[in-house]
Amino acid sequence: MMDIFLCLKQPSRMVDSKRMRMTSNFQWILLTFLLLYLMNQVSSQKKRTPHDLKCVTNNLQVWDCSWRAPSGAGRGAAYEVCIENGSHSCYRLEKNTKIPALSPGDHEVTINFGSSISKFTLNEKDVSFIPDTPEILNLSADFSTSTLHLKWNDKGSVFPRHSNVIWEIKILRKKNMEIVKIMTHNTTLNGKDTVHHWSWTSDMPLECATHYVGIRCHIDDPKFSGHKEWSNWSLLKNISWSSDSQTKVFPQDKVILVGSDITVCCVTQEKVVLALIGSTNCPLIHLDGENVAIKIHNISASESSGTNVVFSVEDNMFGTVIFAGYPPDIPQKLNCETYDLKEIVCTWNPGRPTSLVGPRNTSYTLFESFSGKCVRYKRAEVPTNESYQLFFQMLSNQEIYNFTLNARNPLGQSESTLLVNVTEKVHPHTPTSVKVKDINSTAVTLSWHLPGNFAKIKLLCQIEINKTNSVHELRNITMKGVENSSYLIAVDKLNPYTIYTFRIRCSTKPFWKWSKWSNEKQYLTTEAIPSKGPDTWREWSSDGKNLIIYWKPLSINEANGKILSYNVSCSSDEETQSLSEILDPQHKAEIQLDKNDYIISVVAKNSVGSSPPSKIASMEIPNDDLKIEQAVGMGNGILLTWNYDPNMTCDYVIKWCNSSRSEPCLMDWKKVPSNSTETVIESDQFRPGVRYNFFLYGCRNQGYQLLRSIIGYVEELAPTVAPNFTVEDTSADSILVRWEDIPVEELRGFLRGYLFYFEKGERDTSKMRGLESGRSDIKVKNITDISQKTLRIVDLQGKTSYHLVLRAYTDGGMGPEKSMFVVTKENSVGLIIAILIPVAVAVIVGVVTSILCYRKREWIKETFYPDIPNPENCKALQFQKSVCEGSSALKTLEMNRCTPNNVEVLETRSMVPKTEDTEIISAVAERPEDSSDVEPENHVVVSYCPPVIEEEIANPGADEAGGASQVIYIDIQSMYQPQAKPEEEPENDPVGGAGYKPQMHLPVTSTVEDLAAEDDLDKTAGYRPQANVNTWNLVSPDSPRSTDSSSEIVSFGSPCSINSRQFLIPPKDEESPKSSGGGWSFTNFFQNKPND
Amino acid sequence: MLACLCTVLWHLPAVPALNRTGDPGPGPSIQKTYDLTRYLEHQLRSLAGTYLNYLGPPFNEPDFNPPRLGAETLPRATVNLDVWRSLNDKLRLTQNYEAYSHLLCYLRGLNRQAATAELRRSLAHFCTSLQGLLGSIAGVMAALGYPLPQPLPGTEPTWAPGPAHSDFLQKMDDFWLLKELQTWLWRSAKDFNRLKKKMQTPAAAVTLHLEAHGF
Repeated sequence: MMDIFLCLKQPSRMVDSKRMRMTSNFQWILLTFLLLYLMNQVSSQKKRTPHDLKCVTNNLQVWDCSWRAPSGAGRGAAYEVCIENGSHSCYRLEKNTKIPALSPGDHEVTINFGSSISKFTLNEKDVSFIPDTPEILNLSADFSTSTLHLKWNDKGSVFPRHSNVIWEIKILRKKNMEIVKIMTHNTTLNGKDTVHHWSWTSDMPLECATHYVGIRCHIDDPKFSGHKEWSNWSLLKNISWSSDSQTKVFPQDKVILVGSDITVCCVTQEKVVLALIGSTNCPLIHLDGENVAIKIHNISASESSGTNVVFSVEDNMFGTVIFAGYPPDIPQKLNCETYDLKEIVCTWNPGRPTSLVGPRNTSYTLFESFSGKCVRYKRAEVPTNESYQLFFQMLSNQEIYNFTLNARNPLGQSESTLLVNVTEKVHPHTPTSVKVKDINSTAVTLSWHLPGNFAKIKLLCQIEINKTNSVHELRNITMKGVENSSYLIAVDKLNPYTIYTFRIRCSTKPFWKWSKWSNEKQYLTTEAIPSKGPDTWREWSSDGKNLIIYWKPLSINEANGKILSYNVSCSSDEETQSLSEILDPQHKAEIQLDKNDYIISVVAKNSVGSSPPSKIASMEIPNDDLKIEQAVGMGNGILLTWNYDPNMTCDYVIKWCNSSRSEPCLMDWKKVPSNSTETVIESDQFRPGVRYNFFLYGCRNQGYQLLRSIIGYVEELAPTVAPNFTVEDTSADSILVRWEDIPVEELRGFLRGYLFYFEKGERDTSKMRGLESGRSDIKVKNITDISQKTLRIVDLQGKTSYHLVLRAYTDGGMGPEKSMFVVTKENSVGLIIAILIPVAVAVIVGVVTSILCYRKREWIKETFYPDIPNPENCKALQFQKSVCEGSSALKTLEMNRCTPNNVEVLETRSMVPKTEDTEIISAVAERPEDSSDVEPENHVVVSYCPPVIEEEIANPGADEAGGASQVIYIDIQSMYQPQAKPEEEPENDPVGGAGYKPQMHLPVTSTVEDLAAEDDLDKTAGYRPQANVNTWNLVSPDSPRSTDSSSEIVSFGSPCSINSRQFLIPPKDEESPKSSGGGWSFTNFFQNKPND
Repeated sequence: MLACLCTVLWHLPAVPALNRTGDPGPGPSIQKTYDLTRYLEHQLRSLAGTYLNYLGPPFNEPDFNPPRLGAETLPRATVNLDVWRSLNDKLRLTQNYEAYSHLLCYLRGLNRQAATAELRRSLAHFCTSLQGLLGSIAGVMAALGYPLPQPLPGTEPTWAPGPAHSDFLQKMDDFWLLKELQTWLWRSAKDFNRLKKKMQTPAAAVTLHLEAHGF
């Protein structure tokens, strides 16, 4: 208390000034000494008496009290302890005393030690309850499950009352005793010694390290009010794996749940260098010695052979396999049924795969709770998700079964239950050994084997009856089940002599499932007499003497067996003829009859008997009012209609035959009831494009009358041939064509008309293509009158080739075409006119021209043929550009007659022609002999070319024109000659115009009009180029005149230099500009030439 | 010299190798056996791939080379080259026959252990082929006049995993079985190739031998 006081005082002192510090310290030391003295006095007082009484208990029955002995009391000193506990009781004891537990409340305790007396007040609250240290009776380990089992005794017999005990157990691992786990365990003390067990599963295999276990307890006695304390820890017990020196890995082949954690360790004396889970490296956890462990968290499902864990030491490796999987899923779709009421088969689906196979695979147990029997499923392996099944033998007198299917694997178990009444869950086996037996021709017995004991239930069976070409029939039969599995039933309402196919399936009542269909069993029912007589018809033979009786074979349904033969009889009032045993394939008979009325009767026979007779009268009622009609069918048949006739009492018969066949012709017939007015005739024998004759007979009073005769086609086709046609007559503007009919077989339909095409065209060039394409130059005539056999085509051109085409058509289409070429005759009148008109025109033009020429002869002469040519009028010197431009390359200057005063002859080298095409040049250079052929094209001999040239100038002789002189002699005379007759010039001109003819010499007989011209003439006195260049003619160098012109003696022409810009004869005074104009034209021409 | 030649000619019919002129001899069957070993090698490659994948990593890793712990009972194919060269035909064939007899037995045990049906099919197919090889070797031995080795009583190899045989050790054994099988097939191919070459030149060898003997 003083210490505290001092401590409390101290802060206030610290507030004082520093001057006071020395004084304060001194006081403080004094106080301390004083306190120590006082305390010493008190303790010395205490030490002289027993003091510090403490009581503890470990069983609540006896308190163990102790106190500190007074100083000086030696060992073995005796104390007297007196306790005031209702009664006064004293004990003579040594230092410690055990006293019985005192009742709650304060008790005075007096301890006498010699003369000193100590008094204590003792209350239960001051007593500590410390249970005895528990003792581990046994610590064992289950290494396979890594579980520690602890066993100890609670020694409850020493405790007076029932109390709750808390046990605290600690687990330590490794040699350095790392605490792994501390856990509590609660028990109750029941007044008896009880051995307790406690187990703990380690996350690490126990083999990996030494595990220690200790235990202490805490007893919670509710009535004890003192201190309840934990007992001391027991002695530690340990578990360690006594290994031989071999390295091992733990755990081995462990099965664990997917997603859990696992520790794997390697107990070894070698240093582990590597740990692998599968192929993944793992960090090592070092344990005691060289032992190591690895921890796998959240492990994934293993492959079928498990997850490998491998520890590698330097030269070895060790490992284990861990199987991570799932506990079995609840078996799904559990279903139990029976096939035979002898054995129950339960099927189920395993659900989620467990990832565990082989010995760790799920095992199934089927337990039946009423009988207490169970069957176990044993199978090495099942493909995943395939249905499992188990067989359970049925017990007699038990129908209801309560099944529990238990699925178990190392990770757990699950189950599924099913309560089933097996008599309602019968799924019969497939019926076997199906047999058929005759009863009669329309009924059979059917027997089969259905394994199982169905004596207590009813069966529902289904019989499928299949008849060839017929829909199958199902018959349900309910029957009582039998024990011996054999079942028999009669099946009636069958047809005689018919192949039936039977098959059976069964179920039970109440219905659960059908069995599979049994194998099919085929059976032929027995024969019966034919149900009716054959369908009969008759025809008279062509000579009318014999009656041919036809009948149709009976259908299978009617024949009721194999028809062996037919009997035919003809009876009249007077006689009866019969033909018997006509064997089956024959379906007609011929009987010679007179024209009396007979009733013909036909009977079919099979092995059982004869059919009822079918009768027909031989008599035919004549019909005068008979027309032949046409009909076209629908492709597969033909519809015939007629009016209702009340007189027809029996039936109608339609017979038909191919129209091309000879009489008596019968392909088939059809009978229709007398109340019908139409029928469709169908037959496999019908072919499109074939003409058939149909005859409709009506029956009245047992006699048939022909009512209608029809020709028809089931389908019309286009004709196969074209009509043959010929040209009957040909004129200048028309052609008459005639054609023939097409035979019926080739017509293939009703003829609807002809199409006639014609166009201009020769045989070789013209092709009648695209007749239908509407070419405008093709004319078409559609002849719809099929009786027409000729056609005249008019408005044709004379002497022209025409292409004619004819084709027939039906409703089935166009037939092929037939064509012909015809040339029309010449039109003589037109020809005459065509000749006469031009002749007349020519004559008229000639006459008019002559008259004009005659009247203007003076002017003409003056103009074109003056006596003295005027040089100014020398047209040869007047060149027009246009004249030359249109001319060809090689021209020879041709001059009119000029009167030269002086002739100067200039010689120059000819210009080498320029060639554009270098390739050609090289080719020419290599072939000099060919160059001559090339050169003339580019000959530069210049000639004056009058514009009237029309003829192409022949290629001038290269030798003469190219290599010869550059001077060309132009025959002036030629310009006076008519253009059409150049060859006459040499003869005429030398005579008429020889020698010099002055141009100034004008004709005296000039007309009035000529006077105006004279003015011009005056001005151009002397030589003149001829004004009318049109009259000039080109003279080829090789022409006779040109040849002549090389000689001056014989030439009348004026020599002109082609290079000269000036005319050889100088013009008079102002006339020169004209000449120069002509010269320019030359130059221009020259320069342009190579470019032409 | 002439007498010697005559002696040789006189003894020729007695030489077994030359006596088989009409009979094709063991040559074709050795060739067939050789071909069969090559075929089995090929077949084993496929089977081992499947099976090692089934065993899972690290068994299917290419560089996995575990110690030969529990596989001591498997017949070893590896042999010193000089020892191998010095083997005579009979011993060579006998070793082959015995090895495959044992391997086949182990392989059948493997088949029983396999967890998947497909693996069992593959193993069964291979077992059949191996049975064929064994028969073929027996045929060659018979053709050469060697008796088949009799299995010693009690040494019949059995496949007993037992409780002490952990899955991991089992996998190690399986691995070694396949490895040993492969080595044996390689060795057999060499053995039969050697045998084949030896049989192709019997006449020359015999002649030389006789000459040496004669002189």
